[in-house]
Amino acid sequence: MVDKPRFAHASEAELARILDYYEVSWQYEPRTFPILWNLDGTVVESFSPDFYLPEMDLYVELTTLRQSLVRRKNRKLRRLRELYPDVRAKLFYGKDFKALMLKYGRFDLAASLSGLEGQTAKATTLARAAGASPVPPSPPVAAAPGDGGSAGSGAAPAKPARAQRKRPSRGTRRRRGRRGYVSGAESR
Amino acid sequence: MKQAVRQPDLVTDVAEVLITEEQIQAKVAELGRRLSADYAGQRLTLVSVLKGSLPFMADLMRAIEVPVQIDLMEVSSYGGAATETSGLVRILKDLSSSIAGEDVLIVEDIIDTGLTLNYLLRYLRGKNPRSLRICALLDKPARRLVEIPIDYLGFTIPDQFVVGYGLDYAEYYRNLPFIGVLKPEVYERA
Repeated sequence: MVDKPRFAHASEAELARILDYYEVSWQYEPRTFPILWNLDGTVVESFSPDFYLPEMDLYVELTTLRQSLVRRKNRKLRRLRELYPDVRAKLFYGKDFKALMLKYGRFDLAASLSGLEGQTAKATTLARAAGASPVPPSPPVAAAPGDGGSAGSGAAPAKPARAQRKRPSRGTRRRRGRRGYVSGAESR
Repeated sequence: MKQAVRQPDLVTDVAEVLITEEQIQAKVAELGRRLSADYAGQRLTLVSVLKGSLPFMADLMRAIEVPVQIDLMEVSSYGGAATETSGLVRILKDLSSSIAGEDVLIVEDIIDTGLTLNYLLRYLRGKNPRSLRICALLDKPARRLVEIPIDYLGFTIPDQFVVGYGLDYAEYYRNLPFIGVLKPEVYERA
């Protein structure tokens, strides 16, 4: 059992409840994958999928209906698949989640998924350094699930603990703050 | 959570017919032939999951030419934190007979996320059937979260909101004889 995570969006908390309901174990953002390095080997962009389902060995990233976020996440997922071909990851689109909510009778939440109530992006853009390289300077070794995000040798830095993690300053985040949604059930 | 919907219109609420009644019946007959061949000389227990798979079950059982028993199950569906006290799936209706040592086929209308069926598979495996397979009329892989081995499949469908032949929206449209795509304005009015 782990502490209830603070979810970035209500849809994430809802998916956690759904997974709990159907007794599917999950972990929230257990691993960060570096996906872009600059020439000196510094990670400039990484991707932390929202959920990892250990029994399925599947990462799941949720999106809202906001098209700009969808495009960004599609791009990140493509990079993830290029760099980590053995990692199974799936983007769960906002329209899919909305349909799921309709199926489960969660009309209220489905209606709220307009995209305006957007998910705060998880792009861990550490720097927008000039000359960022799409090719890792050494083989990417990302942290294993559940190990706190420690990275392997080479360019991938350890993922800082959540409380210490530096996040990019974003307008939406400044305006709204990071909304904390806590799942009603604990992760198994 | 039951939603207060306007009076459904079985004709105008459907944007298009995705799978016709004739296509369904042809596929059911084909599945029946395959099952009859695969289970030749054996007996088979069909387990239908209420409510959506009832029409499929009723047609499929009559297309199978080996002795079959049928049983029905109903499991609670996720309804959100506000409506669930236990927070876990509940078996609303369990099997009426033991399936220990039996060849069992789960008959499903549609496999979407795979969450319900994954739960049922675990549950039914615990009852020690001799074999446990899945027959689904529809597979909608776009939203799959749990990979499910489908032994017998009717149709793979695109990521559209489908109703009819047992499939519902807000408990309506189940009695349509075909599989149709619901107009978005019907559920977006929700």
